[in-house]
Amino acid sequence: MSRASLAEFAGRFAESRVGLASLAVTLFFLFCALFAPLLSPTDPYDLSRLELIDALKPMGSPQVLPGEEFRANFAVTDGVATPDGDVGDLATASCGERCIAVRLASAETELASLQVRSLPKGMSVEGASKHPVQPWWTVNDPEGNGVRIVSDEPLPAAFSFSVIAKTAEQPTDFVFVAGTDAFGRDMLSAILYGIRISIFVGVLAAGSAMVIGTGLGLLAAWRGGVTDAVIMRTVDFMLSFPAILVGLSILAILGSGVDKVIMAVVLVQWCYYARTSRSLALSELNKEYVEAARCLRLPAWRIMLRHVLPNCMPQIIVLFTLNIAAAISLESSLSFLGVGLPLTQPSLGMLIANGYEFIFSQKYWISFGPGLVLLVMIVAMNLLGDRLRDLNNPRFDR
Amino acid sequence: MTQPVFEARDVSRIFEPAQGALQRLGDRLAGRQPPLVRAVDRVTLSVSEGETLGIVGESGCGKSTLARMIAGILPVSGGERRYRGEGYDSFLARKRDALKVQMVFQDPMSSLNPRLKVGEIIGEAAALHGVVPRAQIRRYVVETLNRVGLPADAIDRYPHEFSGGQRQRVGIARALAVKPDLLVCDEAVAALDVSVQAQIINLLMDIKQDSGLSMIFISHDLGLIRHLCDRVAVMYLGRVVELAGTEELFSNPTHPYTQMLLAGMPQISLKRRTFMPIKGEIPSPLAPPPGCHFHPRCLAATDHCSTRRPELVELAPGHTHACLNAGLTRN
Repeated sequence: MSRASLAEFAGRFAESRVGLASLAVTLFFLFCALFAPLLSPTDPYDLSRLELIDALKPMGSPQVLPGEEFRANFAVTDGVATPDGDVGDLATASCGERCIAVRLASAETELASLQVRSLPKGMSVEGASKHPVQPWWTVNDPEGNGVRIVSDEPLPAAFSFSVIAKTAEQPTDFVFVAGTDAFGRDMLSAILYGIRISIFVGVLAAGSAMVIGTGLGLLAAWRGGVTDAVIMRTVDFMLSFPAILVGLSILAILGSGVDKVIMAVVLVQWCYYARTSRSLALSELNKEYVEAARCLRLPAWRIMLRHVLPNCMPQIIVLFTLNIAAAISLESSLSFLGVGLPLTQPSLGMLIANGYEFIFSQKYWISFGPGLVLLVMIVAMNLLGDRLRDLNNPRFDR
Repeated sequence: MTQPVFEARDVSRIFEPAQGALQRLGDRLAGRQPPLVRAVDRVTLSVSEGETLGIVGESGCGKSTLARMIAGILPVSGGERRYRGEGYDSFLARKRDALKVQMVFQDPMSSLNPRLKVGEIIGEAAALHGVVPRAQIRRYVVETLNRVGLPADAIDRYPHEFSGGQRQRVGIARALAVKPDLLVCDEAVAALDVSVQAQIINLLMDIKQDSGLSMIFISHDLGLIRHLCDRVAVMYLGRVVELAGTEELFSNPTHPYTQMLLAGMPQISLKRRTFMPIKGEIPSPLAPPPGCHFHPRCLAATDHCSTRRPELVELAPGHTHACLNAGLTRN
């Protein structure tokens, strides 16, 4: 297409606001898909960065850094405690004959809890709750960042104990705009990457199916006879199975993965294109312009590709947009059943499936975000396809 | 005698109606012949240099099938076609030469690809086959458009932007663009308004005069045929029943069918005429009457008309017909 006719095409396209809006939305999602790594605040594929403390947070809640933990061992001889190894900021002091005080030296950090372990018999920690079985005493929010170890009896000549100090959790500036899922994954990032995966799988699978199916359909229409019979009976055979069954069997044989899912979708969808393009081509082949082209001794491939195919394209493009949506849903169904994409690289459909189990516990945001995005994306793609169909047919225009 | 541009000898086209596999199997088991349609049945005709041959007949008599066989779009089931003495097999194999026979179609709507611009429709074959160098193709298309009376700016427009008559001009330009020797016009004006018909007819006659190409003009309109053609072949149910020079045929028709056709032709005259329609319907080509196809409707039919097939016989130089009762029908 020359530059002038491209500009003309763009001008005609712009006449419809719905078309423009759907184009904008589709382009927005395409942009999201292409630049997901730059746009998303976190990398949802990096499992080492996930914190379970962030799991299932609702929309708009801030990220929380888990508290730090200090561990220290102390040896006590004749009532005097000495650090055993590195003890950090923890220090001990004597607070009487049968008493040892343990506290955090620095005043800036505040302890959330302080636990004293392995005390000998008869000793306890003031204001602490004891573990029901283990000799562990825990004080929450210790006053002055310290606790006192007291004993009913005189202190043993030599013993040791260990201390575990935890600092408080700290909310950060980072906000989970769309909440988090069960793994503590930022849903916004997951959605952006999900759009990327879904569009990639949908477009590539539906596109390959279109090329293969349309090619075979045109071949069947042109050759007729045995070629036609073989191709169309194969199509009938494929169409007699539900798409999900074909997808499942193929993935059961091939194993899971993005490439296998695409292969499965292509194998399911090529027959729609073959059937449609064959019937369209047959009706076009009956028209006199095809006879005229044959009378002009144009080669068969040229008649099919340049004369017949463009006249079939409007319907095939509509089928293509619909099949992108169908491919996305088939892929997510397969992912939902556990044979599609790996859990570490979730598509939109898989995110919806992941959130499905939490919907009844009012954790709606896990499914809601991806679902809304998927809905808007598919509606926009369909509207865009309709607009392109109208433009592609000069007779519908104006 | 100079060699004719095109020659058909005993050309036939047999169609087998589409049947299910079961039906075919049943036919084969019962030893039945599957029903065949002889759309064109052993037609012999020729066109010489610069001549216009008219082919006239009712709907369904095989005119269009014959046209497509002449144009080399349909294969023949029997007989042979020759272009300047060369058999069609080798003629059609050389794509560049096969362009010498071109066709103008009936329906100006469906005979132009709606997705191609007029310039592409006209110039595509000429560029592809190297009739004109690619660099000059645009200028050549404009020239061709001018030749058929279309403005140069038509080149960048789509067929749907034109009226029926203009579209037919595009169709003629498409055929002319590859410089043919023989133009087959299959009901080329039947779909047009009468006023537009006249323009297209004049255009065709001008083109013929300018370039001296031969033409086969197929129509059911006797007036047009008379106006345009040098010789006329009358077809009935796939067979040529009479073939003569236009003047001879219209003044002295010998075959009963031709006589009846001409009697039904509207004429401007003050005399009261008795109008006699041809009795009966045109029979189904699936089960044509035996012998002479016309005998059930023929006023002059005798007994042997239903048993013997009449062959074309020459009555006078250049005037042949296929009737067993030659003497009877001569008036």
